[in-house]
Amino acid sequence: MSRGNRSVRPKLGQEGVLGRLTYFFSRAMANLRQNVFVSAVTVGTISLALLIASLFLLVYVNLEGMAEGWSDKVQVTAYFDQEPPPLAVAALKERVQAIPGTAKVVFVSQVEAEKRLRGRLKGQESLLEGITPDVLPASLEISLDRKHRENEAVSAYVRSLKQISGIAEVQYGEEWVKRFNSFMNLFRLMGALLGGFMTIAVLFIVSNTIKLTIYARKEELELLGLVGATRFFIKAPFLIEGVLQGAAGAVISLVALLGCYFAFLKNAGNFLGINPASAGLSFLPNSHLVAIVFGGVLLGFIGSLTSLKRFIHV
Amino acid sequence: MSYQAETTALTDINLKIPKGDFVFLTGQSGAGKSTLLKLLYAELSPTRGQVLIDGVNLTRVPRSQIPFLRRSIGVVFQDYKLLPNRTVLENVAITLEVLGWGKRDIGKKVFHILKQMGLEDKINSTPLRLSGGEQQRVALARALVNDPKILIADEPTGNLDEENKEQILALFKEANIRGTTVVVATHDRRVIENSHRRVIRLEKGRILEVPDVQG
Repeated sequence: MSRGNRSVRPKLGQEGVLGRLTYFFSRAMANLRQNVFVSAVTVGTISLALLIASLFLLVYVNLEGMAEGWSDKVQVTAYFDQEPPPLAVAALKERVQAIPGTAKVVFVSQVEAEKRLRGRLKGQESLLEGITPDVLPASLEISLDRKHRENEAVSAYVRSLKQISGIAEVQYGEEWVKRFNSFMNLFRLMGALLGGFMTIAVLFIVSNTIKLTIYARKEELELLGLVGATRFFIKAPFLIEGVLQGAAGAVISLVALLGCYFAFLKNAGNFLGINPASAGLSFLPNSHLVAIVFGGVLLGFIGSLTSLKRFIHV
Repeated sequence: MSYQAETTALTDINLKIPKGDFVFLTGQSGAGKSTLLKLLYAELSPTRGQVLIDGVNLTRVPRSQIPFLRRSIGVVFQDYKLLPNRTVLENVAITLEVLGWGKRDIGKKVFHILKQMGLEDKINSTPLRLSGGEQQRVALARALVNDPKILIADEPTGNLDEENKEQILALFKEANIRGTTVVVATHDRRVIENSHRRVIRLEKGRILEVPDVQG
């Protein structure tokens, strides 16, 4: 059934990758305009889901930071049997500093120790009658770096500290360290579980919303197939729409998060009194913000891709 | 052609439609008219047997090649399948967009065909604002805008009054005169009687009579 007298077709307007991309992009924009309500529902769902997830992330990041702050209290005190001569102190400090895991070393002389004790017992000086500085031992107060605050790392550190001659006793609040570390492990496990469930819920809600919105346009998908559109031609504008909706949803969720932060959370630290060291909760770091936008884009793309599979029969 | 093991929509169909022909496919509801048409534009594939269009065996063509085949076939669907949130212009333009035409050429060609259909003043209307006859003509414009080799129509006059029926039929004839092979499924006797074309009668999935090929 070939036909010789068929009119000559005009040149293709969208030749080349760029031309095609321009067409798909403009088609996606037109689709968004023509399906305002459906698009708004998708963007709204994505932003709400991401807002919940990012609120969780904000609280988690702050709690983690706070807990890290508490771990600064993991401090090792090494007591000397006799106060070392002033010249030897620097050498001793250097030896301690050389042990892996040492963050900071402070020497507390017997005089200093007595001064501190007096300071603490202000108003009850009578208790200190007859006590001279040589009753209290001189010591080194050592802070550990973050990597060496775990139970076993602290024990190993203490063992090497004890090998230094002149150190009679080492104290480090063993029970506290253990409790603190098991709390941190529980906290991280809960965070991972909650975060995992939340991610699954967000994926489920968003992919189902996108599925419904694509279902609402299944006639369009069917018709495109019937007039000879290839699978890629049908999919591309929908995928671009998904990416745009995801990005818009993510940006809206971040704006809402910023609003919540300034309205309620910025001073929540003071209110709750959980971390007197900081003025309040801090906002998410930039890397997390980028990750949320990227997550939104990915949600939109994957949600559209999986939903389209069901409705394209070309 | 069977949908399920126990129901067979079409049996023993042996039919040849020559290039440039205009045939009516008739029969009662459920006779298999729509199924036969769907076989022609590859929406369905036969359980047994072959369908050849312009020498190409549709049953052997890879799935990925079907879209390219459909581009030479214009289809007017029973329910029109117009997209309600797109204008008349955009609805007709779809066929050319799929082919990768440029925006300006699409505009010209779509305006030209809509003028032929008497719809030039409805170009920016959405389908829901049009009458049944107008919607039917938009669907026909979409099917004909890329000058297809074959035009297939499923009950194109079903919901139309006499005046609109004649108008639509005249447009089919025009397309046929320009060289398009036309296959129309209808159970409207008056339409068939008035047009003096070849009629293929279907009953319970079988062809009852195929008159000799004329011209």
